[in-house]
Amino acid sequence: GALRVVRCGGSGQRGARAVFSADSKQVGRGYLLYASGDFVKVHSVNTEETLRLLCGHADLVTGIQLNPHNHMQLYSSSLDGTIKLWDFMDGIPIKTFTVGSKLLALYTLASAEDSVFVVIPKKGARDTFQLVSVQLTKGAGQDLEGKELSVVLDDVGASAKHIAFGREGAYVVSVKDVNLQVYFFKQKLWNGFSLSTVKTKGGDNRFSCVVCHPTEDCIATGHADGKIRLWRNFHHMKAYTYSTLHWHHDIVMDLAYSMEGTRLLSGGVEAVLVQWHNESSCQKDFLPRLGSPIDCISMSSDGVLCCTLHTDNRISIINSNLRFSRSIQGLIKSRDVKTGLVVDPRTKALVLNGEPGHLQFYSLQSDQQLFSLDIVQRQYIHQAGLKQSDLVKVAFSARGTWLATVEESEEVTDPELQLKLWFFSEETQSFMLNTRINTPHDNHITDMCFRDMDELGDDSIILVTTGRDCVFKVWVMVEDSDPEAHQSVSWSCDFVGSYRNYQATNCCFSEDGSLLAVSFEETVTVWDSLTWDLKCTFCHPPGNIRKICFGRLTCSKYLISATDYGFLCCWNLLTCALEWSAHLNVVVLQPDPLSEHIAAVSWLSKESSLFVFKPNEPRPVYIQRNLCKEKILLAAFVPRDEPETISSEKYLWLRKSQLFFLTDTQELMTLSTKSLEERLTPSSKQLAVEESLPVTPFSLLLGKHRRQQAQEDLDLGKPVVSNKQEQASPAVKELLHTPAHVLPSASFLCTIFINSLLISKENKSAEEVADEVEMESEKAEDDSDEEDVTAMEQEDTSHMELLGEMTCKLSKSQEKELRKIRKMDYSWISAF
Amino acid sequence: CLACHPRGARLALARTDGAVEVYNFAANYFQEKVIPGHEARSVESLCWAAGDRLFGAGLGGDITEFDLSGLSAARGADGGGGPIWSMVANGTGSQLAIGCEDGSVKIFQVVPGGIQFERNLDRRKGRVLCLSWHPSDTHIAAGSIDFFRVIDVTSGQTVQRIMLNHHVEKAKRECVVWAIALLSGGTVVSADSFGRVQFWDWERATLAESHTVSTSAVLSLAVSEKEDSIVVGTSTGATYQLQLLPVRLGGQEKRWVRTKPFQFHSHDVRAVAHSPTALISGGLDAQLVIRPLMEKMQKKGYEAALRKFTFPHRRLVSCARKARLLLFQFSQYLELWRLGSTEETGKDGEVLPLCRMPEHLVQLKSKGPEHIYCSCVSPCGTWLGYSTASRFQLYRVRCDGDGVSLSKVPKVPKLLPPAYQLQFSADSDRLFVASARGSVHIFQLLEPGGCKHLHTLRPPSGCSEAVYLLAPSTDGHWLAAVSGDWAIHIYNLKCFKHHCVVPAYDCAVSALAIHPSTNNLVIAYSDQQLFEFSIPEKQYTSWSRALQSRGLPDDSTLLMNQSTLKQLPETARKRQLHAFKICKKFQPLLFMDLLDKNCLVVVERPIMDFKTQLPLPVQQKKFGT
Repeated sequence: GALRVVRCGGSGQRGARAVFSADSKQVGRGYLLYASGDFVKVHSVNTEETLRLLCGHADLVTGIQLNPHNHMQLYSSSLDGTIKLWDFMDGIPIKTFTVGSKLLALYTLASAEDSVFVVIPKKGARDTFQLVSVQLTKGAGQDLEGKELSVVLDDVGASAKHIAFGREGAYVVSVKDVNLQVYFFKQKLWNGFSLSTVKTKGGDNRFSCVVCHPTEDCIATGHADGKIRLWRNFHHMKAYTYSTLHWHHDIVMDLAYSMEGTRLLSGGVEAVLVQWHNESSCQKDFLPRLGSPIDCISMSSDGVLCCTLHTDNRISIINSNLRFSRSIQGLIKSRDVKTGLVVDPRTKALVLNGEPGHLQFYSLQSDQQLFSLDIVQRQYIHQAGLKQSDLVKVAFSARGTWLATVEESEEVTDPELQLKLWFFSEETQSFMLNTRINTPHDNHITDMCFRDMDELGDDSIILVTTGRDCVFKVWVMVEDSDPEAHQSVSWSCDFVGSYRNYQATNCCFSEDGSLLAVSFEETVTVWDSLTWDLKCTFCHPPGNIRKICFGRLTCSKYLISATDYGFLCCWNLLTCALEWSAHLNVVVLQPDPLSEHIAAVSWLSKESSLFVFKPNEPRPVYIQRNLCKEKILLAAFVPRDEPETISSEKYLWLRKSQLFFLTDTQELMTLSTKSLEERLTPSSKQLAVEESLPVTPFSLLLGKHRRQQAQEDLDLGKPVVSNKQEQASPAVKELLHTPAHVLPSASFLCTIFINSLLISKENKSAEEVADEVEMESEKAEDDSDEEDVTAMEQEDTSHMELLGEMTCKLSKSQEKELRKIRKMDYSWISAF
Repeated sequence: CLACHPRGARLALARTDGAVEVYNFAANYFQEKVIPGHEARSVESLCWAAGDRLFGAGLGGDITEFDLSGLSAARGADGGGGPIWSMVANGTGSQLAIGCEDGSVKIFQVVPGGIQFERNLDRRKGRVLCLSWHPSDTHIAAGSIDFFRVIDVTSGQTVQRIMLNHHVEKAKRECVVWAIALLSGGTVVSADSFGRVQFWDWERATLAESHTVSTSAVLSLAVSEKEDSIVVGTSTGATYQLQLLPVRLGGQEKRWVRTKPFQFHSHDVRAVAHSPTALISGGLDAQLVIRPLMEKMQKKGYEAALRKFTFPHRRLVSCARKARLLLFQFSQYLELWRLGSTEETGKDGEVLPLCRMPEHLVQLKSKGPEHIYCSCVSPCGTWLGYSTASRFQLYRVRCDGDGVSLSKVPKVPKLLPPAYQLQFSADSDRLFVASARGSVHIFQLLEPGGCKHLHTLRPPSGCSEAVYLLAPSTDGHWLAAVSGDWAIHIYNLKCFKHHCVVPAYDCAVSALAIHPSTNNLVIAYSDQQLFEFSIPEKQYTSWSRALQSRGLPDDSTLLMNQSTLKQLPETARKRQLHAFKICKKFQPLLFMDLLDKNCLVVVERPIMDFKTQLPLPVQQKKFGT
């Protein structure tokens, strides 16, 4: 099939609060559901794994709510104008209601029988929104119309956080700017309050969010200046009153009440979760250092857990005693990806800016952050207008032993630059700072690359940096002469090169490391990396050089450059002549490290197109126009663990490496030849199936039926071996799923485990005999079981042993009872 | 400064120097009466009882009744229990309960012409800092250090004693119950030094609710008449309102909720009061703040505005126009200054260089513990008079070159009661002394230093209140006098006869003056109304009537200042012309007078000037500082 663009990480949550499944109390059954891009993710609270992806919406999911009448179902709304009802346990869409206009937020009420509330744009008015209730028709089919709308409130805010429903759905509150409106459903009473717009003493009364007390008539609102107001008596136009809680120094991003309403949680840009007790400004608890600004807070319905969604796409799960429990983090959204997409050669993880001042290592396979390396090592202060240092450049040596980072303060005129070199320590399995170079260049560093050849060993490692101060510098490792130094080597400058006092913009080593190409504005210069002689220059005016790269493998004699004026040039290094050039506005030029292919992404008339070519032929290998609507800023080839088998000739370039893109909205995308169903990670599917059932009499019964079925299969002539494995698998499963601390000793388990894997002829026959005997009489069956002193017997007892820790052993009489039941016909159970 | 007690329409206030002031709610919170302080008097507690009688009690151990028409402390009675920390009147105003240093609570009966000791209630160790009567007069709650108790009035026994420092870990510190209130439902509200406001069911001795409103002490507490709102003042200068609100709309269950915080004071809020429509607080920063409750106001406007009273509503500065002298009145001394002068002229907004610096001529200390009631300097600058509660003094000022000498005028006629207001005539040969019962004494000043009583003017219908404002006409024909009942009497000075009464207007007169050329009396009332009354015609002038029908320009009217007007084109300027010249560059102004045709003297009193004299406020960490 055709190549598809697949989102694979970094999709934002965009202001939709996460939802806990209703029974998060039960161990093993807690789900956290949250909107992520076009999907709803179902996440297991306990195992920290994403279990299921509810996909089906064609645009951003803007709101998710549990069905108040069935807690196993979930409503979701999306910008594509549909409301979907899901069975999130199985990941099946049950119904789709088409509303038509964009849906910006979704609310459900237990008291509203079969209608939900959504925020839609008002017709004929720009940027005004209204809250409407949608009648969900009870039709038979899957796709239904939800066109029966009735307006509840006019002129509401577009965010889901700007509307809240009060205790038992008695009223609805909406906030916008400095206005608060309350509508009482029963009394049909509408009240509006407004705060003063005057910003006195740094105060800013604009509302940012609203929540309602679950049991009392109290509204809590968050404000842009960090205040929280608690409104009461708001059914009275005059005698309404509010009290103020103030801790946050900047906007209160979200609020959440606990189950009973005794605690109120608030969060903001400070990355601190504040818990207020009993509406008192004096009693409050803090959970600081959550890493990044809090965007949304949601509480589980039993109040045991709460979770915060952060602006950088991280999710933190927090215990009721305000203890940090765990976090779910995929690709961290940073303010600005300045480092580019770099692949860590060691872990094959994508490396880019993470938290401010940190470098994140993002595992593409597991959609998880491997770790975050603090580069700047300074406390980040959330304050507008404060100039802080941030990471701008990152380079890895070929084997990942050295990491070079450049950080600079945000001052434009006189940047404070630091070049740091990190060495990967095998003992600690992390990067250790080796050399810190202050002000390596007098102006911004534009590019940086390592020369590192496996054949030449460690000594060959050279780092080149280019700067706007019109020079490039070569850094080499030197033996440390100081005997007191902890390390044997450090880095120092070896050579400074310049060309006609032009600003150096890019640098690149050839594959064998013998040549260094440095671009100086309009010119590309090629230097011998041994003698540092200028070999030749290439120039193709007009336009400054934007990107350069050498060809690889068979094409290593070519040098590719892209210019500002939209030219892609290929130079032959042997003839020092222009091989070919093409008119293309290249934004991203990325060579594949494992093949000759080079990917170029162009940006033209608001769409990105991908061109893949080999330098030796001017005709692209592959063209995909309109790759995506967002602007692609960065791309990276990530080597595959094993080459993929690709049938089509066209996509052969994807065999060894996979191409990833990062758009300006910081969504990570990749190209896939597989269809969507295939791509879904098999691990999650497995998990969905093997919900290990607790051992109850009922499950034993079911177990018997399964065995019967297996027997039937056997009769139908299925291979015996597979059958046996199916028989044995529960034991192995039990073994693997029982918590380690309740397992018996390994020596004891070993035989059981081995035996369970054995395909013993004797055993199989015993099984058959047992089943046959079972038909005849209870007594006989007992006998046969006792007579078997073989592996089967042992497995059974071990089975009991294992389960005995969790469930009580069945007493003898119960066992007899069960056996009696077993004789009856329960074939009807198998009907479902 | 301490204790505000509203009953009906008045608010009594006592300051730390012993001064007692009465504010009138109906007259726009006008400072109606001032009883100057006394060194030996401290007033810890004030209460209204038996109608309009005002009682004060203090650390001196005496209970004092204040004579509000004579503006003096009238009768006293010894409390007999050492320093008195608190005093409250019961619901009917017939009994006073006092809490003493020795831990006793005593009941006094209010009888005509004084008070009478009735009995002692159960005495326990520990000074009684605060008291509260149950609205039905059956019980008294008394707050002490670490505990409060509830006393049955009929038996005089303590029926409940509740410790307050029980629940606090830092119990080593003592917990001072600064204020207490006994609500009709049997709830005791206590405010303590741990910053808590607690609600107790005293019969079961259980804590119903506890609100920690502040990290520092809660010093004062007041309950509204309906018992649905409480205001508390803390030592950080913040006041908080607590309201009894339904938990669910329309539901029966109600709970106290801390609602609005106000930060109007920089220092301890020593006293709070809860009028039906406003929260009133007074603190160590010498300010009285009245915060109307918006929900009780019919409309937005002047009524609903926040009021801060920092300065007295009286004249403390007098000016000798011809001699260019200013006399400043302080609580126990007077200062005489000579104004500087300049010979240069300049443009709008320029500060002119002085050719002669202002000069402090003399400081005159009053003798005795009493504070000065009033003072005045004559227009020619040769006479100076002041009065305390018991004495009236007149001095002759002699300026010879640089030196200034004061000589006391001998044989000044004894005046009892003394003067409430002094005013010299324009030609400085007569002195008008405002006195009690609506009377005005006229003295003839004699060179080289003597005076003689000329006449006493009295309103024909009689009056019990003292005269508090005087205005003589420049030509010496007329004298207008305002007494405490707000009646303005005009006297003819040529024949010393009562001329007429200005038609009664139901508001306090805040200032009045007689126009030098037309002899029209201009009256300013405390409700921001201005009237012009023609003395010869005995009626309001047509301008006044026109003004009444049109009203003064309010805030919304666009009044351009002079510099903006100048920049406008001719036609537009004519349209925008108005009678006002507005200058907004000054800090609070105490006094203003016209020296000559193009010279105006204003006395500015920056708030920072006396803030620096106050003790340091409670240290508070403020974010961002």
